[in-house]
Amino acid sequence: MGDQKKTRDEEFQSFVIGCWPRLLRTAFLLSGEQHAAEDLVQATLEQAYVAWRRIGSADAPEAYVRRVLINTHARRHRRRLKEFLSPKGDSGLGHEQPDPGDPIGRADSRGALLKALAQLPPRQRQTVVLRYWEDLTETQTAEAMGCSVGAVKSNAAKGIAKLRAIPGLDETVTYGGRK
Amino acid sequence: MNAGGQEYDDMTHRDISLLLADATDEVEIGLAPVQAVMRGGRRRRTRRWAVAGAVALVIAGSTASLAVTGLHGGDGKRGAPMATQGPTAEERDVNAPQRTVLASGTAQGEEWQVFIDVWAAPRDEAEAREQLAAMKQRGENPGVGRPAELIGKKAFFVWRSFGDSDDLSLLDLFTQESTQSGTDIQAFSFKLERPGGPLHMVIGHVAKTAQRVTCTWKDGTATEVLRAPERQDAGGGEVAIRSAEGLPVDWFVCLAPEGKAYKSAEVTE
Repeated sequence: MGDQKKTRDEEFQSFVIGCWPRLLRTAFLLSGEQHAAEDLVQATLEQAYVAWRRIGSADAPEAYVRRVLINTHARRHRRRLKEFLSPKGDSGLGHEQPDPGDPIGRADSRGALLKALAQLPPRQRQTVVLRYWEDLTETQTAEAMGCSVGAVKSNAAKGIAKLRAIPGLDETVTYGGRK
Repeated sequence: MNAGGQEYDDMTHRDISLLLADATDEVEIGLAPVQAVMRGGRRRRTRRWAVAGAVALVIAGSTASLAVTGLHGGDGKRGAPMATQGPTAEERDVNAPQRTVLASGTAQGEEWQVFIDVWAAPRDEAEAREQLAAMKQRGENPGVGRPAELIGKKAFFVWRSFGDSDDLSLLDLFTQESTQSGTDIQAFSFKLERPGGPLHMVIGHVAKTAQRVTCTWKDGTATEVLRAPERQDAGGGEVAIRSAEGLPVDWFVCLAPEGKAYKSAEVTE
């Protein structure tokens, strides 16, 4: 019994180490802030730990954990854990300063995208992040969000349209992109 | 959309994928906090058991109370209300918050202050409705869909006042599960646009046991915040870890020296 528990804990540790970077990046796009992202991922993994006996033996624990992450994010949004931006151009959370080694334009384009993402309703934001960052199919996205494929299509279309409507994003698309 | 359509859609929005990937470069990927996650998981498991135990005790307590009433020979009408009465020892006013000043000081020649309003948890929908109306009168909107969502939760609103202006910084609802322990920390950074140049402020909450919080700025320098001596209020301009009446966590505020931007905050003692 004790050995089984030890083995499960070791499996869980390996899982956490392996999935931490990607989950953190996904959570960052959902929450828009480093600390909030870390907190979101930690809360998600704590829930996964409680149910690890069940999910550790499942075919795709990553998919389960992704779903917990989305649910936790949705729940927090409902609770309105909100950081209010002051009306005087207070850019608020975490990403307010470009890194010294980062070209200013690059930091600006990231800021513009993160700001645009933050303005999307949570379901649209989740859909855009899962479809276009996590690169999930519509079916996988629907499973992660616990909704229909139709809802995914609708939320993705609306979210993308809003992102494209942000002034300057087209230039960012032209000149920006991944290194 | 068929599979081909989905593929076309993916190609069309490839630029968005690249931008999202680029944005995630901003995340600092540290070591995975494996031990903290497992500790948190164990706490969650224990809490579940504790909640299940507490519910069982409440039910047992109510039954016992009814049974005792019955022994006194009551007709049942006298006994029943006693069993349904909640605890009354706690003095509560759900229609006005308790305000605590968390920190104060002077920067760029102007006085600043951070304070928190904590609202007692309403017990039923009527109290929740009254409380929501009182909150809105003060410009404190918890953003709930229905007043009933406030029942059993303590709402708090943190304000920062700089010169003549007050701005709401953050709000949340605290439930029984919202406690923190050890080096747990939740910190939020704010950039304040001021005539003399931007100032960066960090507001956060930590466990009741935390003795020292270190805010590190992007140039590598740091500001330390120590726990306030008992009964010292925040009006004297000292920055410290302080309790807010009625909340299960304590609070700290760091104001960055001019020209410095926020990097991280952690409990260091």
